[in-house]
Amino acid sequence: MNQEEKKYPRSKGYLLIDTKKCSGCMSCMMACSLAHDGAINLGKSRIQIMKNPWGTYPDHDIKQFVCRQCEDPDCLKACPVGAMYVDEETGIRMINQEKCIGCGKCRKACKYQPTRIVMDLEKKVALKCDLCTSTPYWNEEGGIKGKHACMEVCSLKAIEFTTEMPETEDAYEVNLRKSLHYARALFPIDDEGMQPAKEAVAAAGLRPVGESGAAWASESISEEDIEVAEKEGKE
Amino acid sequence: MSVKGWTGKIAYVNLTTREVKSIDSEPYIKWLGGHGLASALFWDFCEDKTVKPFDPKNLVVIATNPFSGTLTPTAASRVEVTGIGAFSPNEWYTRSSMGGQIAGGMKRAGFDAFMVTGKADSPVWINVVEGEIRIEDASDLWGKDTFETQSAIADKLTNGADYGEWYKIPGSKKKEIMTRPAVVCIGPISERMGRIGTLCHDANHHAAQSGFGAVWSSKNLKAVSFCGSASIEIHDPAELLRLRRELYVKRDYKIDNPDAVPYDPYSETHIYNIPGRGNVLANFSYLPHRPESCEGCPSACRSTFPDGKGNESYCVSLGWGRGNIDSEETGRKNSDLLNRAGINAWETGTAAYLYSLYKRGIAGPGKKVDTGSLDFTKYGTHEFSKELIRMMVEHEACGAQLADGLVRAAMEWGTWEEDSATGELAHPQWGYGEHYSPQVETDWSFGSILGERDINEHSFNFWVYWMPRIALRILNTSPLLTAKETVELLSRTSGGMDPRCWDYSEENAYSDYRMECTYYYRHWTRVWIQSLTFCDWSWGGCRINLNDPYHDYYIDLDDYGCRLYKAVTGIDMTKEESYEIGRRIWNLDKAIWVLQGRHRDDEVFADYVYDRPNPEDSPYPMMIDGEWKWESGKGRTLDREKMEDFKTRYYQREGWDPATGWPTRKTLEELGLKEVADALEKAGKLGAANE
Repeated sequence: MNQEEKKYPRSKGYLLIDTKKCSGCMSCMMACSLAHDGAINLGKSRIQIMKNPWGTYPDHDIKQFVCRQCEDPDCLKACPVGAMYVDEETGIRMINQEKCIGCGKCRKACKYQPTRIVMDLEKKVALKCDLCTSTPYWNEEGGIKGKHACMEVCSLKAIEFTTEMPETEDAYEVNLRKSLHYARALFPIDDEGMQPAKEAVAAAGLRPVGESGAAWASESISEEDIEVAEKEGKE
Repeated sequence: MSVKGWTGKIAYVNLTTREVKSIDSEPYIKWLGGHGLASALFWDFCEDKTVKPFDPKNLVVIATNPFSGTLTPTAASRVEVTGIGAFSPNEWYTRSSMGGQIAGGMKRAGFDAFMVTGKADSPVWINVVEGEIRIEDASDLWGKDTFETQSAIADKLTNGADYGEWYKIPGSKKKEIMTRPAVVCIGPISERMGRIGTLCHDANHHAAQSGFGAVWSSKNLKAVSFCGSASIEIHDPAELLRLRRELYVKRDYKIDNPDAVPYDPYSETHIYNIPGRGNVLANFSYLPHRPESCEGCPSACRSTFPDGKGNESYCVSLGWGRGNIDSEETGRKNSDLLNRAGINAWETGTAAYLYSLYKRGIAGPGKKVDTGSLDFTKYGTHEFSKELIRMMVEHEACGAQLADGLVRAAMEWGTWEEDSATGELAHPQWGYGEHYSPQVETDWSFGSILGERDINEHSFNFWVYWMPRIALRILNTSPLLTAKETVELLSRTSGGMDPRCWDYSEENAYSDYRMECTYYYRHWTRVWIQSLTFCDWSWGGCRINLNDPYHDYYIDLDDYGCRLYKAVTGIDMTKEESYEIGRRIWNLDKAIWVLQGRHRDDEVFADYVYDRPNPEDSPYPMMIDGEWKWESGKGRTLDREKMEDFKTRYYQREGWDPATGWPTRKTLEELGLKEVADALEKAGKLGAANE
């Protein structure tokens, strides 16, 4: 660990995501901007969702992007006016809105693509995930001991909060699909997200799912029909 | 804008004059949004409501509401589309709707609604960015399928940015967003004026059952795109966040908490609030995939797949033309082709009817119904469907007629009269295919015949049809609720109406109970499903709440709706007031149909509904000898005389003239629709006073 890294105490809170579980509904984005700013504005949400309706599951259709509360925060180091700081109590990487001049250097400095810093161009300030430390439009406590607006509205529970810093970059993405109930809803519960649900259901000794599919079975071709069709074809 | 949740502006485009303007939304707040807003705009801006669908004067409205783009569960994504439709042979003023991210997209671009009329002299698309409306040349888009069209427009607007990349909003030097533009477009079938053409958005969101694709095509309009970063103002943010959470805890699937939700047959029959089950009865347990949502929706009823095929597809598009062999895979592949071509998948009986004509010797290569290159030994396979879809898109052989829908095709082939009498072609009203047995599920069929299309409203249907059907006929187990419990819950959720309003016995078929059910349902869906755009499936279908943590199963959807409306707009609205608004909207629609020529004599089903015994053996709640039972409606027909008597009583209940079915001045004025009454009177179509 170099000298630079030692300057900043670790955050005591992190958001983890399961990109294979997210449904792309963007409710987290609405809740984030609403709780922080009092209006819904997807461009100002500190969590962003990529959604390609034509994309292939699991890597090219839907993804979440949110601040990782870096141990060595490039955004903070890039701030020319000292507006970015580490909260003494929680370690959360914060932006002092009073000091921020909206220069966007933090946005460019973020080491992730896409950048996790968003801009409020009307107020000329940068915005980032503060783990809901400051949510004046929400009647819940946030921070490291409270609730997080994005998680509260996520019906799939595809976001999780932890106080332990993930050991590796990859560890920010986790498997939040381990419940057998999820498999019984027909979705994969393995880490890779590629195991057919019926295998997990069978392995657990549960009744197979999807039997109601029979209700939608349409008219099949009978042997007789094929004979008629073939005869017609010959004529 | 004084009221939160609204942007305050409505876009108006006249393609003939190339006039583009913004209209103040304020006078339209009383119409709530969605269908109410669209009908009010159609009334005000379509100067001649008697024109045909392809007349340049026809006007198509896409309308959002205050919930669009907000956290209001299931209501955030949907828009209502209205105008004079091209699909039905009757060509009434009609409606359709779609979800995805279009509703929020429109509001982010600065508009509560979008209207288009006139006809461009060459293909155009309309580019809406940050409150500005531009008419653009679409000559390079004409001929592209719906996927290619949306991709090409998004590429232009995002300057080629990848999904998941920030891009600069066109015209802005600094403002960057990641959320993609929301595009609505028509496909190749509409370009050739096929009346089964849809307005398509994303992979599988369509305003489908209306023929609006061909209407746009008649205007030389290929697409409309909405791009922007406007904020959606909320009256009480904390209350909206609180209600969203409360409703989630109360009504949504407890996804990582297995003990909280009972299993089997619940997870099989309760298709609404289990993610991914909107694929309805398809079984994708063999295929890894994820649940996918419309904007803001907690239900995530759709899916995306490892090969991207059939992404976002839904019941009827997965069912179109498929057989039993490898059926889900056939469904996914067929669905993609339908979506690309922009075809209304609800013409789901297309392949089956053609096969029936073939077996009867009417259809075949070179025959009256010329099937060209179709190989009927492949019927039910993807290969067969692919060829049939190609023929429809390219207007080849019988595909040319089928591109206008089965009923118009049958009329052209001379098979309509016989096949609509025998039920071989079961399209009970207005050219729309039979959805549920019209002889038994009469809240559906009466609602449809009193309206202008297949109503496609599942709020009662799931509980009286699907729940018992899946349990008793497929899983061979008891339904979760008894017939008595079911009707009592339906009664509770409908303001305490008599449970016999949901008695589907033959004895009760034309009763005042059923009339009250129909009356309530026409107004309720107009306000809650079609104007405030709560999802028919994920909200309306959750009228009984199986996920209630207290196993009470009761949920007061309308009360929650009113509280959400207050949180977003700041406006107090009672449940009773909401139903009155629904009644006002329903009466305005009726007045438009009357101007178009509607008379009670038109409101008659196809002959098979009266003459052919219902073949479906499916259980419904019925009061038999004083006891509630699940009983089959197999063998039932409707009685012409009793149906006419029902209509008379229904018209009287609505305050309409029973001789004609036309609204009276008294009824219209009571609803604040004096100018509508004046217009009907001027046209000589005002109902006589209802003594």
